Amino acid sequence: MSRTAPRRLAMPIPATVQAEHSGYPRVVDGALVEAVRESWLVEDRWWSPAPVRRRYWEVVTRGGHNLVLFRDLRTGAWYRQAAMS
Amino acid sequence: MVMDVLMSRLELVVAVGDRRTLLRVPVALAPEPGGPDRIGACSPAAEAQGVQPGIPLAEALARCPQLVLVPPDPVAVDRSWEALLIALEGIGAAPEPLAPGEACFEIAGLRRLYRGLDGVIAAVRRAVGWPGLRIGLGPVRFCAQAAARRAGPRRANHVHGQTELAALPVELLLCRDRTERLPAPLRRLGLTTLGDLVRVGRGPLGERFGTSGILAFDLASGLDTPLTPRVAGSELRERFELPESLSGQLLDRVLGLLLDRLLARPEREGRTLRTVVLEAALVEGGTWRTRVVLREATADRERLHLALAPHLGQLTAPAQTLGLFAETFGGPPSQALPLLEDGEERRKARLREGLRQVSAGSGEHALLRVVEVDPASRLPERRMALAPREI
Repeated sequence: MSRTAPRRLAMPIPATVQAEHSGYPRVVDGALVEAVRESWLVEDRWWSPAPVRRRYWEVVTRGGHNLVLFRDLRTGAWYRQAAMS
Repeated sequence: MVMDVLMSRLELVVAVGDRRTLLRVPVALAPEPGGPDRIGACSPAAEAQGVQPGIPLAEALARCPQLVLVPPDPVAVDRSWEALLIALEGIGAAPEPLAPGEACFEIAGLRRLYRGLDGVIAAVRRAVGWPGLRIGLGPVRFCAQAAARRAGPRRANHVHGQTELAALPVELLLCRDRTERLPAPLRRLGLTTLGDLVRVGRGPLGERFGTSGILAFDLASGLDTPLTPRVAGSELRERFELPESLSGQLLDRVLGLLLDRLLARPEREGRTLRTVVLEAALVEGGTWRTRVVLREATADRERLHLALAPHLGQLTAPAQTLGLFAETFGGPPSQALPLLEDGEERRKARLREGLRQVSAGSGEHALLRVVEVDPASRLPERRMALAPREI
């Protein structure tokens, strides 16, 4: 009998983001960004064939949603991610 | 590759029985006794008059005054469907039943056995022997389901992935329980094809429709969960043909007799009963069936009787036969009581019992637990995972 395979939580979800030239996000999936609460850089797994370089942003949208998003600095793509601290 | 076999209108064809000519006129399944006042499957002639499965009975009759209603026969449908699944298992398939009349299975092994795809299709058609059988093929379950719905009765259809899904209508989401409510609101939003869903994106769909929206996006992108073939179980069924049609207290006595017989069956091997199905053939024609998930698995006759007897009140007519069927089992009942009660152990036992109830009621894959994979990782997706919960 086959079993359900384990599934990772908080997988990044592709997002449509309009950002300033400096990288500051302005619109996330159609929602205007009201404020940026925090921004940080994550560089990890540099020893592996798939290194990770991400610029994270924690933002508040005009609708009051608190979102965590990041830009993959290797590909330039934007993603949203559930914050699991 | 996954194959989907679809026998459309199985419930209606079984309920009509030998009166096949009825299928050429507007005919539909009457509402189930004790259930919501909505019609079931309907014939193509009824659909041409605007009658749709699931609409209220009054609305169906208003749209098509000459609509013929036949009583549903869930017991016969169950029997026919079981025979069809056994026929599929007989050719070596491991089917996952999706609904009565539709099953999926992996054909990688069968292709070698029957020397190619055409051999497999021929073997399936021979085994099932259903004249209007539709066969769909695809890399995952949803693609195969989409293909089967577009297949003709003589030729199998392929849907290879996201590119072909993109042009198909959002109504295909009706084939899943979790997404069946989405097509109507999606159409109101102007999203008519699965390709439109992919263009909208996973995030917005998830925000608007929750997990159903995310599932719809995954399905439209050609992604689906692995198949879960059914587990062949030992059947434990008791049936009593009544000398005359009975109802009320007399039927209650017959239920007691059936329980005695079922609990005395050696195949039970001391196991407790978790889910029990009570079924009856009604004197006015048609059948009735109800599934009872017990709060606590038991083999105690009195407790089983207490749980089942109230359901006999739902019968809308006297019964000609009454049947009892053990669907799932619990573990063997504990014999000895501990000398000293341990509160923590007792709580854990209750928790396990609750989990078994959830598993019996919602399927074993409904139970998942969060496990820490790499809790100190700086990447959130590497920290935790959802894994199947072993009871």
